[in-house]
Amino acid sequence: METFLQVVTNGLMLGGLFAIVSVGLTLIFGIVKVINFAHGEYLMIGMYLTFLLATGLDVHPYLTVAAVAPLLFVLGALTQRFLIQPLMHARDEHVQIFATVGLSTALMNLALLVFGADIASTPASGLRTSLHIGPVRILAGQAVIFCVSIALVVGLHYYLQRTQTGRAIRAVAQNRDAAQLMGINVNWIYVLTFGIGAACVGLAASLVAPLYPTQPTSGTYFVLIAFVVVVLGGLGSIGGAFVGAMIIGLIDSLSGFYIGSDLREVAVFGVFLLILILKPSGLFGRRSLAHVSP
Amino acid sequence: MSFKKFLTATAAATALLAAGNAAAEVKFGALYPFSGDLALLGEESYRGLEIAVQEINANGGVQGEEVVLERGDAVDNNQAIGEARRLISRESVAGIFGTYASSRSIAASQVAELSGIPYFELGGVADEITGRGLEWLWRTNPTAEDMGKLIVEMVVEAIAPGIDRDPGDLRIGIIHEDSSYGTSVAGHQERYGEEAGLNIVTVQAYPANTVDMSSLVLDLRDREVDVVFQTSYQNDSVLFLQQANEADFRPAAIIGGGGGYSLQPTADAVGHDLIDGVLNADFTQYLVNTESTPGLEAFVDAYEEAYGEFPRSGHSLNNYVGAKAILQALDEADGFEPETIKEALAGIDTPFGETAAGYGVKFGENNQNERASMMGLQWQDGKLVTVYPEEAAYAPMRLGE
Amino acid sequence: MTQDKTDSAQRRGVIALALVLLGILAIPIAMDDQFIYHIFVTICIFAALSTAWNIVGGYAGQLSLGHAIFYGIGAYAAVMLTNLGITPWIGMFVGAFFAVIAAIVVSYPCFRLHGPFFALATIAFLEVFRVLALHFRSFTGGATGMMIPLNVGWEWMVFRDRLPALIIAFGLLLLTLAVAWWIRNRRLGFQLIATRERESAARAAGVGTVRVRLVGVSISAALCAMMGSFHAMYLTFIEPEAVFSLTFSIQIALFALIGGIGTIFGPLLGAVMLVPITEFARGWLGSGALGLHGFVYGVVLVLVVLFMPNGIMGLVQRFFEPDRSASEAEPASVPAEARASEARSFGEDVLQVERLDKHFGGLHVTNNVSFSLKEGEVLALIGPNGAGKTTVFNMISGFLKADSGSVVVRGPDGQFHSPTTPGDYAAIGVGRTFQIVQPFASMTVEENIMVGAFHRHHNVVDAREAARETAHRLGLGRWLHAEARGLTIGGLKRLEVARVMAMEPRILLLDEVMAGINQTDVRRAVDLMLSIRDSGVSIIAIEHVMQAVMSLSDRVIVLNSGEIIAEGTPQEVVRDATVIQAYLGKEFANA
Repeated sequence: METFLQVVTNGLMLGGLFAIVSVGLTLIFGIVKVINFAHGEYLMIGMYLTFLLATGLDVHPYLTVAAVAPLLFVLGALTQRFLIQPLMHARDEHVQIFATVGLSTALMNLALLVFGADIASTPASGLRTSLHIGPVRILAGQAVIFCVSIALVVGLHYYLQRTQTGRAIRAVAQNRDAAQLMGINVNWIYVLTFGIGAACVGLAASLVAPLYPTQPTSGTYFVLIAFVVVVLGGLGSIGGAFVGAMIIGLIDSLSGFYIGSDLREVAVFGVFLLILILKPSGLFGRRSLAHVSP
Repeated sequence: MSFKKFLTATAAATALLAAGNAAAEVKFGALYPFSGDLALLGEESYRGLEIAVQEINANGGVQGEEVVLERGDAVDNNQAIGEARRLISRESVAGIFGTYASSRSIAASQVAELSGIPYFELGGVADEITGRGLEWLWRTNPTAEDMGKLIVEMVVEAIAPGIDRDPGDLRIGIIHEDSSYGTSVAGHQERYGEEAGLNIVTVQAYPANTVDMSSLVLDLRDREVDVVFQTSYQNDSVLFLQQANEADFRPAAIIGGGGGYSLQPTADAVGHDLIDGVLNADFTQYLVNTESTPGLEAFVDAYEEAYGEFPRSGHSLNNYVGAKAILQALDEADGFEPETIKEALAGIDTPFGETAAGYGVKFGENNQNERASMMGLQWQDGKLVTVYPEEAAYAPMRLGE
Repeated sequence: MTQDKTDSAQRRGVIALALVLLGILAIPIAMDDQFIYHIFVTICIFAALSTAWNIVGGYAGQLSLGHAIFYGIGAYAAVMLTNLGITPWIGMFVGAFFAVIAAIVVSYPCFRLHGPFFALATIAFLEVFRVLALHFRSFTGGATGMMIPLNVGWEWMVFRDRLPALIIAFGLLLLTLAVAWWIRNRRLGFQLIATRERESAARAAGVGTVRVRLVGVSISAALCAMMGSFHAMYLTFIEPEAVFSLTFSIQIALFALIGGIGTIFGPLLGAVMLVPITEFARGWLGSGALGLHGFVYGVVLVLVVLFMPNGIMGLVQRFFEPDRSASEAEPASVPAEARASEARSFGEDVLQVERLDKHFGGLHVTNNVSFSLKEGEVLALIGPNGAGKTTVFNMISGFLKADSGSVVVRGPDGQFHSPTTPGDYAAIGVGRTFQIVQPFASMTVEENIMVGAFHRHHNVVDAREAARETAHRLGLGRWLHAEARGLTIGGLKRLEVARVMAMEPRILLLDEVMAGINQTDVRRAVDLMLSIRDSGVSIIAIEHVMQAVMSLSDRVIVLNSGEIIAEGTPQEVVRDATVIQAYLGKEFANA
């Protein structure tokens, strides 16, 4: 029983990790509707930045958010403005996907070029301390990630619902042409959304770096998981993505314990495929992703 | 910078070509992954070969001819085949040295076999490399099988007695990353473990790029595992050691199987406290009783002079030892015909303790070096030192706290 | 003259293609170097895989990033059977067979998904295949992979000499290109592309969209599997990591993208240009610094995508193909007939609609709608915006399922049938247009109409003939070879009608074909409708242009808030108080 509780707790903590990495992607994928394969590389770059700042300036890794999130915002905004936007009206919608594949390859190898293949470890700064909560134990850093991911979800939800810009973003997501007619600068909204999405990844990176080793391929594992989470939650639904992340975290943890760690991915992707096929709008999405006739 | 490098390289190549006309030279291929995921240790392996060649050339070459290495980049299997073809047909090499990565070696050596060109494997550990019974392939380095065997032997001979337990009572958990490397080492651990009467309670694979091993750790803890064998890369070694510690899972011994466990950055990432006492089996490393590894210090000196840094892993040393043994044997022969090479290699008979890696060289069944062996290592005070076998030990094994 | 230009351009294209193919075979033989052989074998492998991928990714527009599944199945089948002593020449087809099964199992549930979602689903399937191949060690050999014994000879596809390998690879490439070319120039190709461009319009044109996609993906998978079998024999060694690889899948798609996605020979060009560049660049940059090569590769990819989004074929086409843009208008060649003003007599009912009900959430969009259509009749369906007209259309063409009620259509056999899907409706002779025009944008006008014509004609020549005839009849003759995306709104409306006319429907559903076109065009359109009617077609038209309604229709049904509020001759209906009220508000009704 105690082990079961611990497995579930680990699953939830893992869910928190997936959530914080995926929230930014929800914005980008849900609103700009682009598969950004470089999302994982944003995280990797954010982790390296955290590592450099935390070790270079000798500050707590959390403090680096102040620099990492804005830098990632710029990176995201630049990606949208100079990579995705020129291809928005390309003849073939797939072209954008390949552009992000190229970006992902370039960034990963750039990291390899600059940092080498060895892992870089950001100082744990006390975040690896175990906290005992009843029969289970969690890491301080994991608890922080979990709480921040909830705060981020709530904050973004508030931002999208209550602010002028947030409403504009939602309008663009629902119908870009109509939004354009209403006088919303759609391209600017896209750049902004991409930037915010990337900044969320920057925040995630600063929280994740002290707990996990950083290497050029750090992002590759997360990128597929993040897409699974976003689709599961329903396109563009931030709360949905959070729940999706929890589900994936639990499946990952439970299947790892009860089925075997080599089949975890089969469990995760299997559930993903089932939901995609049976309920393509995701668990919480309202609009159907399947093509609706005329 | 890189353009300048390119110019220098071109200039050097031209100079070499010019020189080549004066002195006779013999070409060998050097097939390693120089780019892609495996580049770091591919390059490290190549350095060992390069130093062996430099040393041979400085002593008058092989049969009076200067040895020239032609590099081939085996970034993936298809490319490995292409490069092997290029080396054989265009560069007309007398033989090919390689390859560090087992799958590249398997693919490329099939090409060499079909062309009847000797292929010298200095670093790939998979059984299949020699298990195919190829006529034109020789392997000097110890294998996955040697690693599995040594780890089991360490448990039976040193660890169990060291902690006053009967080997058969110890509960063993084997975990490994799911690529070819982890799978084959784990397979041998299981086989030799069962032969030795060890109680193996679980064997689990996981993907090397995983971000969470807590379920696996809990599973091992629940099964009350005393000794963990982990065959892993860097990321997963770090994760496992950290998460085991955090879940308060403290087995009597953790034994790595090379890979991430042999790299200094792993120890730095995990923390020297945490990794202290963790055991490992791998190719011969540098903190070893140098009496049993004659020539090791000279190698390290040559390495530092050539590359301006300490060897990054034992791969270079093992490639150096293998290449040197083969080139020295060829020096005794007359000509570089495949048949001549075959004859020369059959004559190699170097006893244990006479190479810089400590092991001997004699090709046995399937042209595998039957005297190759791994060494038992342990992280002590932030350094990876040799602890097993005793004659090679740099320091005694520390057990039980 | 345009014809001559097209012909000479085509001839130049054929010569260029022949030269490229000849080069693939001749260069390595002439240079007689094993490494060059290897590069050209690799070119053949990638060109064939990309060409096969393109049938799904290009023609059908389904971005598969899981094609390594099929390649891998072919590779494993051949290696396993070789180890059992069965020649890979048989293994190749066994692999193709299993790949087709996998393709159907993987694709069928995924075809509901579009764009990025389909891509993600295929990636997920690929990951599942890879992990399972790692897991079932006793079957696949697990992570350590599988090898074949080195038995040299044609029987085992293993050679000391490199020429035979090149010949086999080249042969497979030719086969794949021939299949791709054949599909593109047959009904299947038109239907695949139509499905990609506008799924609903394709369904309305009687295309079984799921069926054609399944056929397409099966062919593609079989070809990939055969190539996988050959490549496995060429490598002599396979492992899950290399075979079921996402990177490999992306690479296959990439060659097609860079060559020109959706074109027949683009993937070939992509591979011919890129494979040698990658091989040599790796040699140059690979040893420079760790990661440099990958970095340059990524940057180049980004630049290529940014500055050449249509691929190499996009550039090539400028040289080899005539200008396809639309030029100025051509009047419809329909002669203005005298208006048939006398009361006409009609045949029996051809369509009966009984008590149709439909809710969207809480909104009652159609409420108890019943009507019928007689043979040779023109029925106008009018009503204010949001009255539910288009919803009724969707329900009587199979695009929407009614909550309750029934629709029956009399077939050519004289019996009434209850079709359910758009395909059923098309099969029984119901053709429809869409209010928002749905052209197959990247196809020419002729090809657009051919998609409709294929409903009646299986043969390309016949379909083209029928399409041309229809185009001329509708005044689109001048733009036969222009891309549909270049047409004006009036032209697109006509194209919409032309496509459905080419299906030779017995019942025609026209959804606001006259909205947004000028007066002259309206008059022409009315004449056109009448000539269609006179050819024995029954018509239901949703229309706002009252001039057209009055002069065209035999009977009018007025729909408001989902209910029929009036029905009768045009003259009766315009005098009806409820109708005026519905359109203009209460105060006008009593005025």
